[in-house]
Amino acid sequence: MAEQTGVPPAGPPASPPLIEGRGITRLYSMGDSQVAALRGVDFRIFLGENVAIIGPSGSGKSTLLHILGLLDRPSAGQYLFAGVDTDTLDDDRLAVLRNRAIGFIFQSFNLVSGESALENVAAPLVYAGVRRKERIERAEESLARVGLADRMHHDPSQLSGGQRQRVAIARALVTRPAVILADEPTGNLDSRSSADVFSLLQELQAEGLTLVTITHDQRIADRAARVLRVEDGMLVEHDAPAPYLDHAVAPAGAGGVVADEDASPTPEDPGLRTLGLLAEGDAS
Amino acid sequence: MSYVEALRLALRRLRTNPLRTALTTLGVVIGVASLVALIGVGEGTQTAITNQIAGLGTNLLSVNAGGSVVGGIRGAAGSASTLTVDDATAIAALPGVTAVAPEMSVANAVVVDGRTNTTTSMTGTTPAEATVRNYQVQTGTFISDLAVEKGLRVAVLGPTTVASLNRTPEAIVGQTVTINGIPFTVVGVTQPKGGAGFTNPDDAVFAPISAVQSRFTGASTLRTIGVSLTDPAQLAYVESEIQSLLRYRHQLASSASDDFTMVSQDQLLSVASTTTATIRNFLIGIAAIALVVGGIGIANTMLVSVRERVREIGTRKAIGARRRDIGRQFLVEAVIVTLGGAVVGVLLGIVVTGAVGSAVNVPASPTLAGIALAFGSALLVGVVAGYWPARQASRLDPVEALRYE
Repeated sequence: MAEQTGVPPAGPPASPPLIEGRGITRLYSMGDSQVAALRGVDFRIFLGENVAIIGPSGSGKSTLLHILGLLDRPSAGQYLFAGVDTDTLDDDRLAVLRNRAIGFIFQSFNLVSGESALENVAAPLVYAGVRRKERIERAEESLARVGLADRMHHDPSQLSGGQRQRVAIARALVTRPAVILADEPTGNLDSRSSADVFSLLQELQAEGLTLVTITHDQRIADRAARVLRVEDGMLVEHDAPAPYLDHAVAPAGAGGVVADEDASPTPEDPGLRTLGLLAEGDAS
Repeated sequence: MSYVEALRLALRRLRTNPLRTALTTLGVVIGVASLVALIGVGEGTQTAITNQIAGLGTNLLSVNAGGSVVGGIRGAAGSASTLTVDDATAIAALPGVTAVAPEMSVANAVVVDGRTNTTTSMTGTTPAEATVRNYQVQTGTFISDLAVEKGLRVAVLGPTTVASLNRTPEAIVGQTVTINGIPFTVVGVTQPKGGAGFTNPDDAVFAPISAVQSRFTGASTLRTIGVSLTDPAQLAYVESEIQSLLRYRHQLASSASDDFTMVSQDQLLSVASTTTATIRNFLIGIAAIALVVGGIGIANTMLVSVRERVREIGTRKAIGARRRDIGRQFLVEAVIVTLGGAVVGVLLGIVVTGAVGSAVNVPASPTLAGIALAFGSALLVGVVAGYWPARQASRLDPVEALRYE
């Protein structure tokens, strides 16, 4: 699987980037003064890429991930998701886009206790308006994919850290998103679970998923095709943007974004697909 | 997220902390139960009092002897000797009057039956008493015209009086008892009227007015004259007729005030129902306060719950929940708690209504209107109590929420 994340082919990208930031700035007010977490960052991430974002703590990499994940809006600059200027989208449309196109993995798992693994994994489908029967099927499928078919009805508190993070990964996968954003996915795990989760993520990426990881873990950074280093709110790109044409043509993970609405997705045009989703999301 | 999903989520959530759910619900349970019970008891009391007043007689108008005025001080009603048997006879001749019962009263009548005795009040009257005051006889007969004419020492007892003498109605009819030392033959026992309140119509002794006058009072003065009207619509007319008649008979100067008073059954009824309605509304007000306090408890728990679940809210927003999805989740949770409390409260209220009713001897039963009112108020309280926490939850910033420890 390492081979698939190898050297990007040269030449201009064949399809528009999934994620594109232009001069993204994020300011926070601290009393009277303003602190810039990001100062004019430009980046592009293409379908099927494996990108690691690294940087010292306080460098702004978490802020960057929140903006990438449409949880936060830039103070200045332009953020295009699937070619759409996200500034034109209201909060509800952003929520729908997060629901359909983005899968989150958090350092502290963020599973809801009191709900079984299956219910946790199915939660995004509730907001997507998927019928209960199909929700359960897809959540079971997703849990089976991360190797937890035998833990579906366990409460998160009954699971080990590694298992919890795998439940979280199953939850991120269940909507078949275009991109998975992982925030220190192995940060709270012991080395064995960490290796476990790490290899699972690499496998999924190899199957065509776009993966953006914030990490301190040098191994993840090493395995990423491209490393973006954030320092003091500025981006130091180590490698050039790498559109993976092979993946972009048929990314299994991304193709599923519209699987429940559209039997024959057109993976070549992620922007339009995602927009089509938005329209349907409004109806739900 | 549909309401069905929100409901599913809320039920799952409430199950995870059953003790808190139960304690939160308790406030609403108490509020709703008291509403149902107090409305039931209130309605029951009102019905009982209305029935009791209706049982006093049909189209009844009571003429009471007025207070005597001695040295400018007005005495209690009945203290003056203004009404006489002749007044009663004169009233009976008026148009619109069906029956007239003169009532001469002996306040303390000691009835002795062998070794048992009881103290009650005795009324000297005529057969018309049965019509005017709506008495039926269960055993034997009421006072006859002959007994009044001849001044026979016969008596009709109320069922409570009979029970006080440890007798059954069948056993006492035909027996001789002494009343204040004078022997009387019991000729009948009245039907129970189911009395409650200050004066019990079932604890009474009736005797011919002539016998009472000759054996006890000596004078022909009456405490009350019971008048039964042909048509209740003529009440005002008959009242004014009686007033003129008595003023003429008592030779009152035009400047003097009446030496008698008249009270109609309708007046009693409206006074009584106004009083009971006031008391009932007061009780409902207290129950409503209990319900509001229950609602505040729910709002408080929901606010705490929002605080505790900030990260969950952040996570849900990250995986695609919109503001209204989050708001709905919390609102539905508050409404579920309230409605659950309302269901338990209604059941408890029904039980309490029965218990309170039998404790205070009132035919109290939970009313449908009371239950509907309690349920409706609970729903309103739930929505109001849940609204603010739900709004807070829905407005949380996802980034802040995810960072929250």
